[in-house]
Amino acid sequence: MSDATDTAWQQICSATDINDGELKRFETGQFAVVVARVGDEFRVIPPFCPHMAEPLHESGICRGGALTCSKHLWQWNLLTGEEQGPAERPLVFYESEIRDGDIWARVDQELVYEFDEEDDDDFEW
Amino acid sequence: MPARNAKQWEKVPGKISSGEYVDSRIYSDRDIFEEEITKIFSKVWMPVCHESELPDPYSFRTMTVAREPVLVVRGADNQIRAFLNVCPHRGNMLENRPSGSFEEASPSGAPKHITCMFHAWQFDMKGNCAHISRATEGYQDRLECKDVGLRRLRCEVKYGGFVWVTLNDGIGQTVEEWAGGAFDCMQKSLDAEPLEVFHYHKAIIPCNYKLWHDTNSEFYHDYLHYHNRVTGFNDSYFARKNIGFDNGHVNVGSFEVQYDEYEGFESREELSFPHLPTNHWEMIDFFPGVNFNLRGSALRCDIMTPLGPDKVMIEFRGLGLKRDTPEERLTRQRHHNSIWGPFGRNLHEDLLAVTTQQATMSEWADKRRILHGRHELDADGDPTIHDEEGMRHFYDAWGQWMDRWPGDPDLSYEEGQKRKAA
Repeated sequence: MSDATDTAWQQICSATDINDGELKRFETGQFAVVVARVGDEFRVIPPFCPHMAEPLHESGICRGGALTCSKHLWQWNLLTGEEQGPAERPLVFYESEIRDGDIWARVDQELVYEFDEEDDDDFEW
Repeated sequence: MPARNAKQWEKVPGKISSGEYVDSRIYSDRDIFEEEITKIFSKVWMPVCHESELPDPYSFRTMTVAREPVLVVRGADNQIRAFLNVCPHRGNMLENRPSGSFEEASPSGAPKHITCMFHAWQFDMKGNCAHISRATEGYQDRLECKDVGLRRLRCEVKYGGFVWVTLNDGIGQTVEEWAGGAFDCMQKSLDAEPLEVFHYHKAIIPCNYKLWHDTNSEFYHDYLHYHNRVTGFNDSYFARKNIGFDNGHVNVGSFEVQYDEYEGFESREELSFPHLPTNHWEMIDFFPGVNFNLRGSALRCDIMTPLGPDKVMIEFRGLGLKRDTPEERLTRQRHHNSIWGPFGRNLHEDLLAVTTQQATMSEWADKRRILHGRHELDADGDPTIHDEEGMRHFYDAWGQWMDRWPGDPDLSYEEGQKRKAA
């Protein structure tokens, strides 16, 4: 367990706030996170799909330990973050743990996926 | 002077020569109108909006150019780009709203993307296709994102932040080259600091777009405005010059308006545009249907979208300085609206003229001659604004683009010139 005085850690919600198979969005102050639940395990993830930044608390479906974004069907093993099906990038997690029935996460730094647009410098008329 | 019978009515009056009148059919004929769309409006640079209407990355604006739907967006890199507002998949219109932002996700699409609501194909702000729904299942390896980008249009932000677009990839001219020096009179004022649109209204007017352009091109129709203007104008009003530039553009020279002599008006001195002499008035009649009008404290820009031979949509924008305080902005708006607002002193008077002109020129009416044969030079031999050089200059460019002689559109431009020389 981490040092409880470490200010990088924040209480995000209570474990009872989230049902099995549910995704919920929370504000940490600087940015938003999504908390997902698989059985008694919790994962804290950025609120965007790594594909095209879809808002996962709206587009995500959590079933049988898999997270699927309903927009374009990218899918991950929610416990490991590993890609399944058409997904091309892994899911990333904030470090998290349960303390006295609350979900805490280390949110000193926002995790962001790079969504690079292709350049058009060489556009030809 | 007696009235004329039908035969006399058809003749060119007095000693007016070819090139000093147009045939009324150019204001009413459907075939000529169609040709103007394909030969002129789809070939030239047109301003379509102002960059302040796209305030943030992912802001967009939609419009039509030569009846093609156009989508203008500001990218994450702040660059403004233009595309046909058409999905490469099934030809659906990508965006139906007049303006808005792609920053947030749409119900069917990702944030920061243009999403076609029909089948959720998605595009980024550079026009790259970013997503084809069920691409592998449906197209295997026969069609990929890289094959179906949007149709990009040439686009420049120029002259006080106006966004210019052309459908013509092969235009071979920058906006500056196209303007041919017509903006020399106000470029310093427009480019001194960022401008912002504070007024927008549009009107669909039952007249040919050229009739509106004509009223902006001659200034002795102040017989029409007389009652409002007799106090504020002076001899220098009529001493202004019409100066022609390449490609049919015309600059109407400036003069100082005595705003404080107008009943209910005040001097515009306090909020003068940068580099513009106090209370001065510069104007550009830009080919084929745009008017830039800088009066003291406010800039007006009319953009015309021809809808038919007897119908034009005019978008009126009023602009001030972006850094205006709220009080300054209110004053500027009052200055703008008192002349150019829908209830101002100017627009409804011009409206009366152009709509009653059009009423006599229906497509079923006999053809007749619409004169622009006035020549009034100043002491230097330059055309004053009494002189109809502005219209002659416009119609000469029009004739070349159309390859028709404005005075007799059944003749080619060359045939018309020969007849003029004879």
